[in-house]
Amino acid sequence: MERKIVGIISGKGGVGKTSLTASLAHLASKDYNINPIILDCDVDAPNLAIILPAASQDEIQTKDVFTTLKASFLEDKCVHCKQCIDDHFCEFNSLSWDEENEIPIIEYLACEGCGACKVLCSEHAFKIEPVKSGEIISYTSKMEFPLVYGKTKLGSTTSGKLVSDVKQFAKDLKEFSNCNLVLIDGPPGIGCPVIATVSGLDYIITITEPTPSGLHDLIRAIEVIEQFNLPFGIIVNKYDIVSDFRKKFETFIKNTGYDILGKIPFDLSIPEAMSFAKPVVEYAPESKASISIFEIFARLKSILWIN
Amino acid sequence: MFKNHGYKVLLIDGDVENPNTYLLLGGKLKNEVAVPFFRPKIIKEECTKCGICAENCTAHALLYVKDSYPIPMLAVCSGCKLCYKICPVNAIEEDYNVIGWTYKTKINKISLMVGELKPSEARSAAIIESLFEDLDYIIKENPNKYDIIILDTAPGAHCDVELLIKRADIVIPVTEPTKFGMMDLIRIIDLITLLGKKYKVIVNRSSLLGFKEEFLKELENKKIDILGDIPLDNEILASYCQGVPIMDEKSKYSINGAGYIAFQQIFENLLKWMDNL
Repeated sequence: MERKIVGIISGKGGVGKTSLTASLAHLASKDYNINPIILDCDVDAPNLAIILPAASQDEIQTKDVFTTLKASFLEDKCVHCKQCIDDHFCEFNSLSWDEENEIPIIEYLACEGCGACKVLCSEHAFKIEPVKSGEIISYTSKMEFPLVYGKTKLGSTTSGKLVSDVKQFAKDLKEFSNCNLVLIDGPPGIGCPVIATVSGLDYIITITEPTPSGLHDLIRAIEVIEQFNLPFGIIVNKYDIVSDFRKKFETFIKNTGYDILGKIPFDLSIPEAMSFAKPVVEYAPESKASISIFEIFARLKSILWIN
Repeated sequence: MFKNHGYKVLLIDGDVENPNTYLLLGGKLKNEVAVPFFRPKIIKEECTKCGICAENCTAHALLYVKDSYPIPMLAVCSGCKLCYKICPVNAIEEDYNVIGWTYKTKINKISLMVGELKPSEARSAAIIESLFEDLDYIIKENPNKYDIIILDTAPGAHCDVELLIKRADIVIPVTEPTKFGMMDLIRIIDLITLLGKKYKVIVNRSSLLGFKEEFLKELENKKIDILGDIPLDNEILASYCQGVPIMDEKSKYSINGAGYIAFQQIFENLLKWMDNL
């Protein structure tokens, strides 16, 4: 079967991306025709690894990533002309003036590493260097597939780049040549880490819930997906929660004609499975939620490889 | 609740990727202002095709092939304006794209400022900077205009969240008693600590029991203070769907409900905490 790369995103946070990814990963690993690689690209708050742990602790590999650039100041070269401040070298307001010592101060967190200060300073009193932006962690999980995830170094402001690094890392794995399904747990929102996640995918699953903010965020996520012209399907989690809004939500989706990949009922076996750190399809395979996820998996397979 | 107690409240929705506060307050967005973002515009009549701009662009946002005009790749441009500043023949002009909007409105006596990122744009931090510029202006005009300013952040720990935490006096991370909640909470607390801010935690869905004991023990070991609990409660969900906060006079919520009591308690704890700052 041809290799397919599938991402799971949601405009809104906390609607079940990771729970769903873990269940789909579990089902994929049990399927004889599928050799999956699983990625967690929610690099600000990765936690897929909790439900899909390593087969053994010794196997976990951690690689530091240095894709962030940051400016540093070379005091011996500074002639205290204050031109960097007066001419507003930095568009990100990360340069301020230390009146006492008559030198610029770089605010590390605000610095984007663009190099403007380095190029514009006539005395070459700034340099730009790569600094650690995060880690890529990889291992073979208990379910025997490779799992790769990224984790940003806090304050490095480069979540999007790290997402691309995680995706590249997976492509360089020896298992990649034999793999026919890459499943990516994406970050919430619609900003730069999400854009980095969805670029180059074959199919996107966007998961939401029938609440006003769930709908609002779904529409925004779809706007991003459509910019990239990628095929996608919607999963409605907790589709049966009782509320006045549910009808409105259902009518809206119906009128758009968007493809509903599946619906998951509100089912306490999901939070229960989570508290035992297991995919719900493994923890409670007979539950209503699990049955709906089996159906979603079957539909996903037919979309990816039959249509 | 601050409003109910006579405070002048400003709520800034800094979850610019998905701003939702106005939906939850049952209002509409008004007074739209576009947020511009720099983009280089190459003046072909002036450009000598020297390539200096592209050579110095660390974001690789200018595509340059020898003897042709540089092509700006806007998606990766950081907006540092270095190209504009260093072009030896001034062949680059400052031009602007709209990357989102800010809104100012008043819903039920709460002033609201909302930032919204245009879908498929990545530069969300610039929207937050724009909200802060407005805020600085308001405070400069009248430092006592608001008694309390509440900043709502995006989920996660990326640059937007960082900018908002930096601006706050105190921070309230909201979590839930699950392994996921624990792990994400530690991440956000590390960030808050890195930024040197005080914090207390709210435990949402506190009636989820599976992992709760372990969760509370972990919080105690790490000496993390809890500001309050919010139990799972259908009436909270209902008010969320209706766009009427449960503490609003118009809400039909019972004052003996578990959710109402929880919010009341959180508010009291918060006032006490703020008094002791």
